[in-house]
Amino acid sequence: MSDREAFLQSIRGALGRQDSGLTSDAPTSAGPPDQLEERARRASEIASRDADNLFDVLSNVAAGAGWNVAHVPDARAAGEYVLKLAQDLEARSAVYSLHPVVQAAIGEADFDTAGITTIPVALDRDDPDSDEDADRARLRSIMEAADLGVTGVDYAIAETGTCVIIPRRGVSRLVSLLPPVHVAIVERGQALPSLDELFTLRRDDFIRGDFGSYMNLITGPSRTADIEYTIVTGVHGPGEVHMVLVG
Amino acid sequence: MEPKTKRFKAGSAAALADERIQANLAGLYSGFHSARISAASATSGWEELRERGRRIKAHVIENLDYYLDLLARNVEKAGGRVFFARDADEASNYVIGVAKSRNIDLVIKSKSMLSEEMGLNDRLESEGIEPVETDLGEYIVQLAGDTPFHIIAPAIHKSRGEVSDLFAQKLGSPAYDDIEDLTREARRQLRGKFMTAGMGVTGANFLVAETGTVTLVTNEGNGRMCTSMPKVHVAIAGMEKVVPSIEDLALFLRLLIRSATGQMVSSYVTAVTGPRKQDEEDGPEEFHLVIVDNGRSRILADPDLRESLYCLRCGACLNACPVYRKVGGHAYGWVYPGPIGAVVSPMLTGLSDGKDLPYASTLCGACKEACPVKIDIPRMLLYLRKELTEGDEKASSNLGERIAMKGWKAAASTDKTMRAANLLARLGAPIASKMPGPMSGWTDHREAPRAARPFRSRWQELKDQ
Repeated sequence: MSDREAFLQSIRGALGRQDSGLTSDAPTSAGPPDQLEERARRASEIASRDADNLFDVLSNVAAGAGWNVAHVPDARAAGEYVLKLAQDLEARSAVYSLHPVVQAAIGEADFDTAGITTIPVALDRDDPDSDEDADRARLRSIMEAADLGVTGVDYAIAETGTCVIIPRRGVSRLVSLLPPVHVAIVERGQALPSLDELFTLRRDDFIRGDFGSYMNLITGPSRTADIEYTIVTGVHGPGEVHMVLVG
Repeated sequence: MEPKTKRFKAGSAAALADERIQANLAGLYSGFHSARISAASATSGWEELRERGRRIKAHVIENLDYYLDLLARNVEKAGGRVFFARDADEASNYVIGVAKSRNIDLVIKSKSMLSEEMGLNDRLESEGIEPVETDLGEYIVQLAGDTPFHIIAPAIHKSRGEVSDLFAQKLGSPAYDDIEDLTREARRQLRGKFMTAGMGVTGANFLVAETGTVTLVTNEGNGRMCTSMPKVHVAIAGMEKVVPSIEDLALFLRLLIRSATGQMVSSYVTAVTGPRKQDEEDGPEEFHLVIVDNGRSRILADPDLRESLYCLRCGACLNACPVYRKVGGHAYGWVYPGPIGAVVSPMLTGLSDGKDLPYASTLCGACKEACPVKIDIPRMLLYLRKELTEGDEKASSNLGERIAMKGWKAAASTDKTMRAANLLARLGAPIASKMPGPMSGWTDHREAPRAARPFRSRWQELKDQ
């Protein structure tokens, strides 16, 4: 018997069970598994149908959760917002992820004239001679030294004022973590009503084989109350966070 | 961690005499406790959520072997490795083995109560591997050579002055009056560790069986660092942490976070499914999940105590408990303090060592009321007291108390004696405010309760109306 089988066997023993099947169906917290596809479709539908309402609720709740919230008409205005912020911060460099809306926003604003370097965080996969580890270490130092990190999101959650980022090619885990200031650009239609819809959609992604290794729910700045219950922001992650709603 | 559960009385006396600890404890009620109540009332259908959470936990625990097997297979499908550890030593040995196989000498850690249980830091140090706690509270506790005081606020017993002295002494930093400056100092110190550590060790708040996902709830961002920066991530988790589906997370995140700090959601919720995938920009090359028993199957084997494994480790019962709020976390003498600790610590460390803990409660029921999954802690404390009085010689408390309890049982079983006692109760008299003889130890520190008016007389009254 393998160690694992012995371990599971001892649990069966403690439970007084003979076989390894389920004794009953799992009580569902969302709805039956066979209606997952329908639930996921409904979640996406609500996100586009109620986009305006969801943006309103999101901006209120997010402000309460510690985000600086701005609502702008388009990617160009989002770029201007980021540029203005970078200038106010006297930033010298900003890193960004390759979400299309971020590329559009950064591309529209004149960071060069302002003397601010903008660096996309993505490994160079085209050069066959590049050393991936060295490349990764280099990007990490750039992010660590940057004054600002700009990302898009995959979803936002109105219930909690949360941005959801699912890392993948062109979307690093660290752009929203290492720099002291994070700007998240949320597009119209990305806001979901609650955590329920998020996890329904993620379960649907999983069934479809499109899950990735990581997901972060980000709600306001990094914070702690570990000394005398006093809230301090920016303990390990960004102390200042901005949510820019577009459209 | 070496259990000091035998020293509850001495530990609680020391805490009661310590003005600073008393002042810091007072903040728990006005802080976390009130925040929890506001968050619960702001959540629609809170009672129904608790009920549903409890049902799911009950289902998982009754089918724990099934879900652990499913979880392990899905972690492996995602490219991770899974190790089942029967006890603390096996778990620590595995972590050390992984570190040595990659010549890792610096390990960054995100808060894990289980790692305290395992004594992992001491084990790593004795192998020449430096463990660094990165949660601010845990970092303070580690620098001080202390133990956590509260499940979610480990260093809440320390004042800013003490932290400043500690930083000056251990880190050579200047004296700070300001909590913000102390936090910045910790950030500076720990950034360097994050950038260079070879391994990140984290706990797990939930393990999702269906997807093989480890979920972490944090506010500082150190959990994100530990799961993103080093080349190796090892998650360690008690075997009871499984939930069936990722859709269950919506429910359990609400229950856990709103009960713990009263936030609608924590700053960060991080979901990790295996190591980084081929196309991803960063993340660890290796991912390991260590699933630990360490006495939990003893709890599982006792149907009367099984529900203590539903615990989400939110700390709400600590903040609600009139005893914890006076004696604090250290008096309980082991990793898990407060009402839930009084149930699980004796079971995990051995009943004979923890025999005072089931008595460290007034049975007022505030813990059960605060619990997001409605764990009936008072019932289990009574059950453990009964076990202690009737249990085997080794596990039992003092002989006098056992005899007294047996005598009470005998009295209660004869109708005539019972009626005499009931008569006293009808008169509204306490059974005896200070009990003589074998019960004196018990009543030295407690008022004996007034006996409830017996059912028989209340029923008569109702019938008469």
